[in-house]
Amino acid sequence: MREQVLEILTEIRGDIDFENEKKLIDDNILASLDIVAIVGEFNEEFDVEISVEDLIPENFNSVDAMVELITNAQE
Amino acid sequence: MAFTSLNFLLFALLTVIVYYAIPVKGRWLVLLFASYAFYLLSSPKTFIFVLFTTAVTFFCGRSIGMCNSEHKAFMAENKASMSRDEKKAAKAANQKRKKKYVAIALILDFGILAVLKYFRYYLEALGLGFDLGGILIPLGISFYTFQSAAYIIDIYRDKISPDTNIARFALFTAFFPQIIQGPISRHDQLAHQLYEGHEFDYRNLTHGAQLVLWGFFKKLVIADRVAILCDQVFDNYGDYSGEAVFVALLFYTIQIYADFSGGIDIARGVARCMGIDMTNNFMRPYFSDSLSSFWNRWHISLSHWCRDYIFYPVAMSKFFGKLGKNLRGVLGDRVGKLVPVIIAQYATFITIGIWHGAEFKYIAYGLYNGTVIVLGLLLEPYFRKIMEKLHINASSRWWKGFQYVRTFFIVVFGKIFPKAASFGAALTMFASMFRLHNGEPFAETLLSLGLNETDFLIILVSCIVWLVISLVEERDMRMNGGDGTVGFRQAMDRMPLLVRWILILLMLTAVMALGVYGPGYDAGAFIYRGF
Repeated sequence: MREQVLEILTEIRGDIDFENEKKLIDDNILASLDIVAIVGEFNEEFDVEISVEDLIPENFNSVDAMVELITNAQE
Repeated sequence: MAFTSLNFLLFALLTVIVYYAIPVKGRWLVLLFASYAFYLLSSPKTFIFVLFTTAVTFFCGRSIGMCNSEHKAFMAENKASMSRDEKKAAKAANQKRKKKYVAIALILDFGILAVLKYFRYYLEALGLGFDLGGILIPLGISFYTFQSAAYIIDIYRDKISPDTNIARFALFTAFFPQIIQGPISRHDQLAHQLYEGHEFDYRNLTHGAQLVLWGFFKKLVIADRVAILCDQVFDNYGDYSGEAVFVALLFYTIQIYADFSGGIDIARGVARCMGIDMTNNFMRPYFSDSLSSFWNRWHISLSHWCRDYIFYPVAMSKFFGKLGKNLRGVLGDRVGKLVPVIIAQYATFITIGIWHGAEFKYIAYGLYNGTVIVLGLLLEPYFRKIMEKLHINASSRWWKGFQYVRTFFIVVFGKIFPKAASFGAALTMFASMFRLHNGEPFAETLLSLGLNETDFLIILVSCIVWLVISLVEERDMRMNGGDGTVGFRQAMDRMPLLVRWILILLMLTAVMALGVYGPGYDAGAFIYRGF
């Protein structure tokens, strides 16, 4: 799943080093438009329902946080 | 009681002294007492509205919190034996219960705001004889209403727990440094800082006092001086055209930033003196490479409010998602995907526009910003192609520089809407910019707008000081993350005591000697106080 997540992220923002960035939200690296695009892709790709309630910085600060978010949403 | 009045300074000083004089446990009560005293001294006739919003928000928040607790207890007991669909159904049922309380709180809180701030304008415009003239607009109503709404929605989303003590919640709603012009604080960021008493810390006191002084400098030396020229041109726009209007618009861009961020610095500085760190509302907005980036740095607490409670819910709603999917056949895959985002952008910026006031010029301001961003999104592939053809390197320094300048002027032209007397006046002024004023030399035109050579020199030097500080902060942000202000503060701390005090005394002298004081040493009212 991690590889798929990375692929989606890189497709949306090819200019970001997602492997090493751990403060994607806190440091304003990802914009709100990116978040909407990312969530849209996650929902479609992994058949989950990530909603507005899940939009907290901790869920999107790093790739691993996003993988965990998807895993929890799949439960 | 204006921030720039001697009364306010004495009031703040007294509050800080009493705050540290009583035991830590009871310090929040000093803040509550001071906040209500401040409100009663500033806007006694509208105090009842603050009490009403506080009570409604508190009790609805508690009810929503209770739904959350009951749902969690139920899930803890039954989760293991439930299917995915059953879990979904339980969540949906709980949300339905919570939505009733959310609706009550939002309708009542925004209802008061709508009647007192907005319907007044439309009722008067319709000329049906309604008269709300006897009721003033409550001080800070837009700020505390939006703050209360965020509190309710955050409990609904289970991001925070509701307050259990109404007196403490009352302090969060009416905390006196922020009631005049924000920032719109979030409960999880501010409330605990207000409730827990802070031990006396010399550094907090000096940092706070420095921030207050800096706020005074921006407000009195820059904003109120620049305002003289802006008011001259905007109030008599029929008499001016060409470079005069352009200069006034450029100066207004300086005025609004110095005025609003100066006020925020005073508010944050007073809070900091008591160890309370309020959210920063500005992050050098004129160093933005796009309009979206500008809104991430300007009036941050409002734009983030709109992002979290309007943009995301609209852009991620199932309804607009489906609409976008259905339109993909007509508009193409890319634009179809953008439909929910475009609608969300407009909803966000119309809200930002209306937040400032009911007049159409404010809605036009929102539409202008929304349209620039939406056009940027829609035309992005074409821009990319043009750049490829012209062999422009997007990461080159000169391209970045161009982006900063371009964004700055997009912002400058947009400011014509909120500042002009009306939407029609804004259009007239915009068109008049393309006619030369009256053929006289530029220097003569400049000096006929209410300011003399000394004023221009003071503005120039002050803005250079401000620019240098901003560049240092920007560099710090790029190197160390955060908002960039910590590095500057630490650099001040590291300075030899003598140098630091010379700088502080210079600043103090500048505020006292160069500040623009009206009759009776009454500084001009803050622009955002009116919102």
